[in-house]
Amino acid sequence: MQTTSVERTSSPPPGQKANKPNKITADWIISNSAALVLAAFFALPMLWMVLASVDHGATNQLKAPDLTAEHYWVAVQADNLAALGNSLLISTVATVVGTAAAFIAAYVFSKHNIPFKNPLLLTVLFLSGVPISILIVPVYKMFATLGWLSIIPTGILLGVTAIPFQIYQLKNFIDAVPPELEEAAALEQANTFQILFRVILPLTKPGLASSAIFGFVNAWGNFLMPVVLINSLADQPAPVHLFGFMGSNSINYGVIAAYSIVYSFPLIVLFLGMSRQFKAGFSLGGAVK
Amino acid sequence: MNSKHSMSANQGPVAATGPQVGSNTSNQAHARVRLDEPRVNPISFVLLSPAALLLGTLFLGPVLYAIYLGFTNLQLIGIHAINYRFTGLSNVAFLLNDAIFYKSLWLTVIFVVGSGAIATTLLGLILALALQNCVAPIRWIASATAILAWTLPPTTIAFLWMATSTQSGLIALLAGNQRLDLLYQHAMLVVSTANAWSLAGLAMTMFSAALRNIPGDLREAAQLEGASSVQSLRRITLPMLKPTIVTCALLMMLMTFGNFTLIYLMTGGGPGNDTNILPVYTYQQGFKFHNLGYAALLGNVMVLLSALLGGLFVWASKSQRQGEPQ
Repeated sequence: MQTTSVERTSSPPPGQKANKPNKITADWIISNSAALVLAAFFALPMLWMVLASVDHGATNQLKAPDLTAEHYWVAVQADNLAALGNSLLISTVATVVGTAAAFIAAYVFSKHNIPFKNPLLLTVLFLSGVPISILIVPVYKMFATLGWLSIIPTGILLGVTAIPFQIYQLKNFIDAVPPELEEAAALEQANTFQILFRVILPLTKPGLASSAIFGFVNAWGNFLMPVVLINSLADQPAPVHLFGFMGSNSINYGVIAAYSIVYSFPLIVLFLGMSRQFKAGFSLGGAVK
Repeated sequence: MNSKHSMSANQGPVAATGPQVGSNTSNQAHARVRLDEPRVNPISFVLLSPAALLLGTLFLGPVLYAIYLGFTNLQLIGIHAINYRFTGLSNVAFLLNDAIFYKSLWLTVIFVVGSGAIATTLLGLILALALQNCVAPIRWIASATAILAWTLPPTTIAFLWMATSTQSGLIALLAGNQRLDLLYQHAMLVVSTANAWSLAGLAMTMFSAALRNIPGDLREAAQLEGASSVQSLRRITLPMLKPTIVTCALLMMLMTFGNFTLIYLMTGGGPGNDTNILPVYTYQQGFKFHNLGYAALLGNVMVLLSALLGGLFVWASKSQRQGEPQ
């Protein structure tokens, strides 16, 4: 009896998930308790933050909240919203600049024949692995000399730091577009720009979406570049603003928690959107006859 | 081409009318366009130029400019902010005698290898393995929160873990000692844990995908031979996962190396330089002690280190591809 139950629980047929009601075995206990501990490890800090954001007397202790919405009310006051607006501006500039440049570059790398393609791609790969904190000194010196220590150049810079990875990401998507489609368009006398925007672009929308999301998230979360490269305090984005809350003498956990949640919320939404995009995948099979 | 003509000729005049004319014209168009032959189209360079210009002026250019700045006495403020000059190897000499630099280098290695390569990879692997056969609610909570943790911006993660690990926080509560301030006593351990916490979701998705690709009949066969689950884990699952483990460890090292925000916000490099990894030390030298030239040199050391890591990554993925034909 014991052996049969072991076989049934731990070897489900391929392609079928093992979430049928199981008999309790040593394996089952180990993996469930490990998963439970890990779930607590990941969930408890977040649970604390959610509870603290609605707790009237919030501390960093995990306790049942004395319900209130006052922290969220503080979090949406004018100057706090302005910081979120700055974040939005920086991230939008970064996303547009980075994704557009990366998309047409990725198209060339994927479908065109250019000299030194492999060394160029290796350089791009190298840049995508470089930690961008090395850029602060030279870029600060450059921006200070040119008088660019403000919000738009910082946004552009953050967009540029995403380009290497975006080129790789988009190249993978464009590689999957069958060459027959392009050839067919070329037969119809379409020029390169028409091929790029009428053939490639519509077929790589999921790729463009995930690449744009990467660019947005990359800029939205960045703390170092704005803090160094933006002179005006009023132009600082939300993470720097949040750090200002944390650095003050008496930490108001409730307000910081509420503001953190408001600040993190767009990323969570974007991420959920992205996972749906991934699930949809793209079905190019039907495009080729 | 020839065979096509002869075929249509065999089929007689009726079959050789409409469709054949069409295919002839399209063949001529083909001869003019020739998409199958490698050639360089000048338009390629036009399309590449925006990315090349942006990367050249705002990424590659600054990296090269920093190499020069690393050998100057540039300061953030004061007389050397504008009138700086090339000072040869004096920054390098200072670097070689800088005890904090050596400590920082060592801490960087500990953080990148300990937290990135080992802790995050292990956490992701255990998570993926444990979630394989556990009950649905636990699996759902664990995977959703792990991925959510990966989604959160670094500033939020820093705040979460600061609150969790200081006095009377969650860790103190679990340890039953309200005065326990783990962030102050074992700062490196806490920031390493926070880093692993924030990246494990990505590692988990990589391992879950790899686990799904292991054919079920392999484990079934092992079970028929009477292998215990520990044996089948050690002899089948882990060897099959080896390429993913290597890729994941290297990717996590790269991502950990770039993680300035988490440490800077949680500890600022302290207490007593105990978490002062190279990115943080570079920032401190440049924007706290105003030694921009020296900070640029520290940045150059980081470029070398990341080139080393990147080289390892490329080498590992190449050797995996070669060792795969079975």
